[in-house]
Amino acid sequence: MALDHVDERLERARKPGFGIGLLKGMLVLLKHLFKRNTVIQYPEVKQDLSPRTRGVIALKEENCTVCMLCARECPDWCIYIDSHKETLPPKRKGGRPRKRNVLDRFAIDYALCMYCGICVEVCPYDALFWSREFEYAEYDIRQLTHEKERLSDWMATVLPPLELEEGAELPGQAKPATATTPAAPAPTQGATAGTPASTSSSAAEARPEQVTEAPKTPTAVPEASKPATAETAAEPAPETAKPTEGLKEATEEQQMDASATTTPEPAAKIDAGGGVAQEGTQAEVEEATAAETPAGPTSSAVTETPVAQPPAPVKPTPRPEDLEAPEAAYTRVVEAQKEAGSSPQVAEARAKVARVKAERALTQARAATPQQAAADPEPSGAAAAGEPEPAQGPVAPAEQDDPVPAQGPVAPTEQDDSVPAETGDEPQGAAEPAAEPQSAEGEQPEAAAEDPEAVYERVLAEERSKGSSDPVATARAKAARMRAIKGTLGPADG
Amino acid sequence: MDIDLTAWQILIVKLLIILTVVPVGALIGGYVLHKEMAHMQHRLGPMYAGGWHGWAQTLADGIKFAYKEDIIPASADRRVFSMAPAVIFVPVLLLFLVIPIDRTLIIEDLDVGLFYLLAIGSVGAIGVLMAGWSSANKYALIGALRSAGQLIAYELPIVLSAAAVAMLAGSLSLVTIVEAQDWPFILWPPGIGLALFMLFILGAMAEMSLPPFDMPVAESELITGPFTEYTGMRFIFGFFFAETAHMIAFAGIGTTLFLGGYKPIVPWGPLEVIPGIIWFFVKTAFMIFLLLWIRFSFPRLREDQLQKFAWKFLIPLSLALILATGAWILYGPGG
Repeated sequence: MALDHVDERLERARKPGFGIGLLKGMLVLLKHLFKRNTVIQYPEVKQDLSPRTRGVIALKEENCTVCMLCARECPDWCIYIDSHKETLPPKRKGGRPRKRNVLDRFAIDYALCMYCGICVEVCPYDALFWSREFEYAEYDIRQLTHEKERLSDWMATVLPPLELEEGAELPGQAKPATATTPAAPAPTQGATAGTPASTSSSAAEARPEQVTEAPKTPTAVPEASKPATAETAAEPAPETAKPTEGLKEATEEQQMDASATTTPEPAAKIDAGGGVAQEGTQAEVEEATAAETPAGPTSSAVTETPVAQPPAPVKPTPRPEDLEAPEAAYTRVVEAQKEAGSSPQVAEARAKVARVKAERALTQARAATPQQAAADPEPSGAAAAGEPEPAQGPVAPAEQDDPVPAQGPVAPTEQDDSVPAETGDEPQGAAEPAAEPQSAEGEQPEAAAEDPEAVYERVLAEERSKGSSDPVATARAKAARMRAIKGTLGPADG
Repeated sequence: MDIDLTAWQILIVKLLIILTVVPVGALIGGYVLHKEMAHMQHRLGPMYAGGWHGWAQTLADGIKFAYKEDIIPASADRRVFSMAPAVIFVPVLLLFLVIPIDRTLIIEDLDVGLFYLLAIGSVGAIGVLMAGWSSANKYALIGALRSAGQLIAYELPIVLSAAAVAMLAGSLSLVTIVEAQDWPFILWPPGIGLALFMLFILGAMAEMSLPPFDMPVAESELITGPFTEYTGMRFIFGFFFAETAHMIAFAGIGTTLFLGGYKPIVPWGPLEVIPGIIWFFVKTAFMIFLLLWIRFSFPRLREDQLQKFAWKFLIPLSLALILATGAWILYGPGG
């Protein structure tokens, strides 16, 4: 009785009448006959692929440390890796000879590959990337094994990383239970950022907090302090590769044991040297992982540090009319690539990159032109110069540590005026103050005199106005704050 | 200007008309089939052959088949095997003889036009049996037997519905039948007309082995049934042309019997200006569309379901309709 109405409806639904079902079927076809057709007529028309499309897998050689994780985890065993160990002379006199793993052969056999992506996922150093290319069919199956060179070529077709979705936890956001000190958010960031590097860095963070892990901390500290000082000190590029490497080694070994560790207590973190060093490390890793362009962590770490660039000669600001037109750059690169025998997709991708660079150079040149005469600090100059050079980050509270060198040869702002200041070297930074403005704000406050929190806020606001993404902005702000706290002077240090 | 031709010359002209119109019609019909099926299934169909939306697809197919090797199985009965496609195809051509395109445009206005149509239409069954048996292939034989059984079973609904129409019109001549029709065509006599039309459609579809009655030629079942051993031009003539030309022929016959042939749809002044040919083609096109539409909509019936449907439903229904038509003529208004 209670369900009579349901029964009735079922009955009605079941018997719509003789032939009505047949007619309905016919009507569906009629509807489709008159609908607009959505067939994509490949190959004349190509589909707009989603940015996460899994096409070919590209290799960024400089990131690969030949850990063999990808080859091991590949279900198909289609990755072939060969390497050998080399011994390099010690870095300092009296040090121990360093061993380096050198990649000889890295090949992916795409005849076997099932595009599961486990290798991309598992690579701890972000050396493998998805690309959207899929048109690489061959007549000979042996051509389907792509060697190192071809895999590196595919990097040109890899897209920059996607924006985080709405509601995603950003590295800068504090988790409810842990924010107590200014440095508090730092350790939790690693846990929420999704990459193994940052996870391991949070684990790295955890380590010194277990004060009992004395043996690890001292090793971590000297290595970690290197990046901290590296950020502010002028060092040639090869030097910065080491701290990153050292960091990675440290985090790697710590990651192994870190699985059982609990979330660190932020308060304990600020032990005198270790905590700060870790902070600096954290910041650097944050920047590295956050600014995860296909350039990879290593090079971004390199560009992070204003010192990263070798002393570059000053280049006068190119004038807009002297620069190459974007389209011309495109065609030039396409031709050059074709000469060199790259595949069409790679040629096209590289040409696009060249075109974008030409456009940016043009934009900067145009922005710089009106400022040629002006010698004052200009935030707009900072904005223009800031875009292609994430390395301007570490906003040093004035002194000699200047982001100037970080801009490298491309930044047009005030370069004419501040020619002496334009060397990429920190040591010369002393003459700076007048040349400041670029990424540094308009003011030249003495670092020590400024309240670290104010530094943080100021740098954060400035980075945001420049358009840096949140993780990058917060990381730089924190680094600046740390330097203010420590009273570190500029790049002349260390 | 009067053209004076001897009987022989007229005969030749008539033959030429049929021999050109029918294959061309089959080509166009095949293209329409592919395109209609594609768009109903939310895809595009032929797009490349000939450049613009693949108009030359069926032509290209025909040429391709012409290139194929003519294979006759070693143990096949050669003469019967070779003749079977002809026995299937020629009657289809002959169907076009009596279909009136306009009041005076008919190849041959036979007094027994309708009877002729039904008789000629049945000859195809023999051809199918010949094809299957001579193939020396037991699966082809099974397909041939199924097909023949189907053809015989569904002859009756066609014959009976056509007979009912002839009763209503009072003549077997197709022109007279058309003339006897008036608006509203299939809706008169009420109910009977529509039922007769449906009977005719279903019977026609089974005659041509169109889905849902295509069990004999279903790919997943028997490859192509009786035509399994046929290749190249024999296959095309016996199977594809026969089916498409047959479809056009039945569409024409259906138009003539049920939709009013070359008469305007509505007896409205301005519409009478349009020549009968146009009306005929419009109505035939609609019939073809309808046949194809039904074809694409439904899955096929199993052989036993097919036979049951014919013998237990359609034939009793058509007999009942004959009775009803007779009653209508005798006791109904006018008639």
